[in-house]
Amino acid sequence: MDIGTVGVYCSFFLALYFEVFLLISFFEKKPAAKTSSRPARYPMAAVLVPCWNKAATLGPTIESLLALDYPKDKLSIVIIDDGSTDNTYEEALKFAHHPQVTVFQKQNEGSKYSALNYGLAKTESELVGCLDADSFVAPDALLEIVKHFEVDPQTMAVAPAMKVHRPHNVLELMQTVEYTFGIFYKKMFDNIGAISVLPGPFSFYRRSLFDQIGGFRKAYHTEDMEMAFRMQSHGLKIANVHTALVYTNVPSSLGALVRQRTRWSRGFLENSKDYSYMYFNPKYGHFGLLVLPFGLSAFLLALYVAGFTLYNLLSLVLNKVFILYATGIPLGLPASYKVDWLYLNTDMMLFVTAAVLMFTFVAIAIGSRIAETRLGLKHLAAYFVLFGLVAPLWLARATWDTVLSRERGWLV
Amino acid sequence: MNLKYLYALIITAAIFATAFYIANRFNQSRIADIRATQEAVSVDILSLETQFELLGNLDCQAISDNPVLSDELNSLASRLSVAEQNLGANNAEVISLKKQYSLLEIKDYILMREISQKCTKLKPVYILYFYSNSGDCADCNKMGDVLTYLRQTYPGLRVYSFDYHLDLSALRTLVTLRKIDGAKGLPAFVVNNKAPVYGFKTLQEMQKLIPELKTLATSTPIQ
Repeated sequence: MDIGTVGVYCSFFLALYFEVFLLISFFEKKPAAKTSSRPARYPMAAVLVPCWNKAATLGPTIESLLALDYPKDKLSIVIIDDGSTDNTYEEALKFAHHPQVTVFQKQNEGSKYSALNYGLAKTESELVGCLDADSFVAPDALLEIVKHFEVDPQTMAVAPAMKVHRPHNVLELMQTVEYTFGIFYKKMFDNIGAISVLPGPFSFYRRSLFDQIGGFRKAYHTEDMEMAFRMQSHGLKIANVHTALVYTNVPSSLGALVRQRTRWSRGFLENSKDYSYMYFNPKYGHFGLLVLPFGLSAFLLALYVAGFTLYNLLSLVLNKVFILYATGIPLGLPASYKVDWLYLNTDMMLFVTAAVLMFTFVAIAIGSRIAETRLGLKHLAAYFVLFGLVAPLWLARATWDTVLSRERGWLV
Repeated sequence: MNLKYLYALIITAAIFATAFYIANRFNQSRIADIRATQEAVSVDILSLETQFELLGNLDCQAISDNPVLSDELNSLASRLSVAEQNLGANNAEVISLKKQYSLLEIKDYILMREISQKCTKLKPVYILYFYSNSGDCADCNKMGDVLTYLRQTYPGLRVYSFDYHLDLSALRTLVTLRKIDGAKGLPAFVVNNKAPVYGFKTLQEMQKLIPELKTLATSTPIQ
């Protein structure tokens, strides 16, 4: 066995270990079903909606907030137009007459965090949430979140379950499965107290949190990740409320997807560097012992496996082309195919790969059950065929940017 | 908290061990299948030899129309090649199977020569091909591809492949008889009873070297 293959086996061992660990956590504490109970008290809640050039989706986003099942006098919506160059501000003003809505306009400062802090300064609500202007909430999402804050006073921030809004093309179908997988592992991270990101779509915070650890930071355009890292570093509890559903638009083109994921991946690398003292530190629980080290290992090993596969594939093709050229054998299909398992390569790698895929499938199935997402064959086919091909693109780009300290800006 | 890390490690290791076990079982089945096929081929050869000795002659038409034995040997070669990839060229079982396979090839070769002497209408075209997996034959893969293509194009062509370095006395005798000198470089091959040819030959060069190919039927149009 060559050293390259040993590396692939190590990668698969780690991937499998991580999946097994999360599945053990699942069986230890299965996610509770949604109940029809209502909170005993309705605290004042504000939703910050930072938007930059989101004229097309802002309207439906605000309408979904206005349709929330929550006392109108207890919920305020703060729209912050972050210096849009389209007619986002005009779209926002259409809702300005609504007593729950206030609209602000500020100059763009190159990253979302400043818009969030701007909005934060404009509200005194006990609970503060944010919602990207291309996402839409389920009517009971806020109720579910408030119920959790009420049940667990230790919880300082809550992340919802995110689903893809109306997927159409193959990339969106792929992301639907990816988000479903995300619902599973975020819930499992909750089980082990190691949530690593508070996503822009409908994460909620207790107001007192910001007094304690400060507002949002630029953090390489991943203020949502940095906030979670900072909370973990202070031992502050983050929960995942899988019954609070949020639907978000996802990039529909490869370019937009790669740009978005490069930003996320770069954010992970840079934040990992800033919070490197948490790695393998038992003081930070599973976050320091499992989530951070495995996140970084997965990042690097995924790049390694992709590079190794690409190298082997190119070698195979070039070798074949060379042999065809050197031997003079005409290019063509074999005269006949024999279907016989004896001709199949049945080495250990095949079965290990099958095990990793099977565990991934189980995780997706659990995620699908948790969030009641219906996945068809086309969703799964898009994910299992495409994800491994496109993910290395943003992982490599993010690594490249980090090495060169290249600034790309808040592109998506 | 720490126990969960240990449980996950045990389960993951168990999954890897299971994958190793299943892969091993598949390889054992593959070996068993090859061995069974070799035994079947061995019986076929023995049967043909016995018939030949009993009657002193054979139904020549039946032999020329029935290349079953050749097909079986070709199939064995492919299976052995896959087993070699999975288990490695130095695996004891693979070496044992290769020896048995080489012996069958030699017996088939001798038998075909004898039959062709009796059945004068039968004009078999055969190649004794000597290769090496020991790193001293850079062109063996290419040569193997050319011969595989020829064998697929001309089903009547009998290609007997031998690992030159295989420690088998019968093979050493064949090498001596056909005056193959590995020092002159591998690959080496002998077409029918001609002198050995050394080094890589392209498809076109092989077709020129073996004009008898024109007498054989093709499975696909020649390009």
